[in-house]
Order: sequence, then C-alpha cells, then structure tokens
Amino acid sequence: MNVAEYIASGTLEAYILGAASDQERREVECLSSIYPEIKQELDQLALALEDYAMALSVEPPVALREQIMSQLTFGVTQKTTAADEEEPETKVLPMPDTRPIYNFTWIAAASVGLLLLAFSFFLITRLRDNQQALASLRSTNAALQQDINALKTQQSSSSQVMALLRQPGTQIIQLKGNEKAPDGNLAVYWNQQTGQLALDISSLPALPSSQQYQLWTLKGGKPFDAGVFDPITGVHHLHPIQQGTVDAFAITIEQRGGSPTPHLESLIAMTPTKAS
Amino acid sequence: MKRTQPFVSESVLIEKLSRRDQQAFQWLYDQYSAALYGVLLKIVQEEEQAEDLLQEAFIKIWNNLDAYDANKGRLFTWLLNITRNTAIDSIRASKAAHRPNPSKAIRTDEENVYIVDGQHNTPPVNPDHIGVQDVVDQLRPERKELIDLVYFKGYTHEEAAESLNLPLGTVKTRIRAALQELKQLFHS
Repeated sequence: MNVAEYIASGTLEAYILGAASDQERREVECLSSIYPEIKQELDQLALALEDYAMALSVEPPVALREQIMSQLTFGVTQKTTAADEEEPETKVLPMPDTRPIYNFTWIAAASVGLLLLAFSFFLITRLRDNQQALASLRSTNAALQQDINALKTQQSSSSQVMALLRQPGTQIIQLKGNEKAPDGNLAVYWNQQTGQLALDISSLPALPSSQQYQLWTLKGGKPFDAGVFDPITGVHHLHPIQQGTVDAFAITIEQRGGSPTPHLESLIAMTPTKAS
Repeated sequence: MKRTQPFVSESVLIEKLSRRDQQAFQWLYDQYSAALYGVLLKIVQEEEQAEDLLQEAFIKIWNNLDAYDANKGRLFTWLLNITRNTAIDSIRASKAAHRPNPSKAIRTDEENVYIVDGQHNTPPVNPDHIGVQDVVDQLRPERKELIDLVYFKGYTHEEAAESLNLPLGTVKTRIRAALQELKQLFHS
C-alpha cells in the first residue's frame, strides 16, 4: 500500500472534518493504527482543526458555566467538599426511592385491613343469619315434636278405642245433657263381657276446679261408681267395671275425687243400655 | 500562537474526568468552552441556540467520558466532534421538522432574518485570538468557504460539490489544500 498516496487522497481530511462515510471512517481508523505516517498526518490535521476552532473562540456568557455545572453529576473526590456533599446526597437520593414505597406499604396495609374488616363483618352477618335460622329450626322442630307426641297419644288412645269397639259385644251408649247441661254430649263405649269402659266426650260444660263429673252404672235400681273425669273433649279410658248387665249409665256433678253415692239433684244425663 | 498549557498532564486530567471530578470539569470548561462556543456560533449563528447546544454538548461529554479513548485521538478533537455533531444533528432535526409543514415556510424566513441579525450581532472576538483571527483570514476564501461548508454545515463532499457547483475531485483537492494551509499557518 502506498501510504503517501493514501495521505494525498483527501480521505484523512474528510475523516477529520467529519465528512467521511462509515466505510472510510473504519478504513482510516484501521490504517492509522498500522501506519505511523498516517497516524501522524491525522494528528497534525486534527491539531490544525483544533487550532482553527481555538481561533474562532468566543467566550460564552459567564452564567452558562454555573448553569451547565448544575446539570452535571460530580463524583465525590474533593477533600473539602467530600464531607459536605456526601451528607445531602445520601439524604436526597433515598428520599424519592423510599417515599413511594412507604406510601405503597401504607396503602397496601390499609387495603388488607379494610379487606379483613369487611370479611369479618361478612362472617359475623353470616353467623347471625345461621344462628337465627338454627333457632327457628329448633322451635319448628320442638313444635313438630309436640305435634308428633300429641298425635302419638291420640293415636294410641284411638287405637285403644278401636280395639274396644272391634270387640264383639261392645255397645255405644249416647248420653245427652239434660236441662242442667243442655250442650252436654258424650258417648260411653262399654263391653258387657269384659267390663271395659271408655268415654268419648264431644262437649260438656266446664266445672270449677273443686268439682268433677262422675259416671255411674245403674243395676237393679242401685247406682255403682264407674269413675270420675274432667270435661275435656276426647276419649277417656276408665277402669273396667264389674262384668255383667247394666241397666243404665248416668253422669252427675260431684266434688273432686267423686262421691260414694250420687247426688241425684246434680244428675245431668242418663241413658239406659240396650236390652241384653 | 501559543496554546494554554494544561496545569495537569492530559492523562491525569482524563483520569480525574473519569472519576467525574468537579475541578477537572472546571478546568475542561475554562480551557475549551470558548472554542466550542465559537464553533457553535459558526454553525447555528444564533447566541441563544448556541448556549443551549453548548449545554447539551457538555452534558453529552460528561455522560460519555468513558467512551473517550486517548489512543484513538486527542481529547480536544473528541470534544470538538461531540459538539459539532450535537449542533449539526439539531439543525438536521429542526430542518426535518420544518420541511413537511408549508405553513412553517414563513417562519423559516423569520429565522433567516434572525440569522442575519445574529451575524451582525456576533460578539467581539476574544482579544487573545485577534492574532489568530488574522491568520484565519489569510486562508484563501474559496478554501475557507469549503471548510466552513463541510465542517460547520455538515455537508458531505458530494453535497458541497453540488452546492458550489464544482467537480467532486476539485472539492476534495481544495479541502486537502485548505487543511494543509491551516496546518502551515499555525505551525510556521
């Protein structure tokens, strides 16, 4: 390669003036590192241009120096300013970093707190609802249990009545209240062979608590006690009576617990049995 | 012409600069800002813009100090290149921004007026450099014109040839001659 020719080609001048193409620039940089003559020529051209630039010097406005320096970040190297500058720098730098994090932490914590509060409130509401539902279910359950018990009782008494009625020879004797108890209406289920006895009260006037109704059987003109009962609608099972014929059934009002002999003035109903 | 001697050797200066030493920057600024500002005024011919560009250039220099390689070239040359490229890039960008909008054409005329005013307004040259200015004036006008066109306007050789209506070969020869002349003027 002819170095002198290359130097004379004008490529170095183009390079120094910033007018070289990328290809030329790479070429010049490569060749100048190989050929000292090219490197020297390049340095001289650069120096000439530097001198030209120096010749064009115009002092910039004084204020510009401070303005530019305020835009630059300086390393801490000055002995005198090192202590002074490090303080504000360490104080100023972390501030924009930590403050948003600080705020974010608070926002996050507050959000979590609110969320927990809302969730607790939700749970408490649910718990209250469930407790109310449970209480109403319990009361419904108790009411159902009562109904079932009542039905069971009714059922067992009904089945007893049914058993009594199914037995051959059981009679149904209707007793109607006289003028002393015009609404009185009941039936006596009685089996002559077994002596089993039951009452089915449709309606009977209420009594003071000191008094009870008493059932009597009449046989050969004589009254026999057949049990006391309260005027409660429904079936009353009484103790079986002596087997044998009965002429009639009668009901009187007696003191609580019953009387050995009936007070006839308080008779409210009497019905003869069917001829046996 | 006598160049101001740095009070530190260039390698020490560069080492200090790489640590972003404030004192080193101050020395750099005091040493080169006038030359860089003068070049910027040559390129944009408007003081306010030149000030902005000087600021931009120094920020670029400060942020790219690690890219400077003393083996590849002189520090001042590197500073000059960054400054010149900053200015030329800015001019190209503003030209590109103005071109597509016809309404801006009027404004371009206004700018021309400012440029003319700016030329009249150019502050007095640093008295230290008056002698140097005389030297520059000794350059042959057609050679000076070419250097200014290529170096300050960012023209390629081809663009300069087209603009001056000269053959490309003549442009290359004249540029070489102009730089050789500069070389001799300053070092004779």
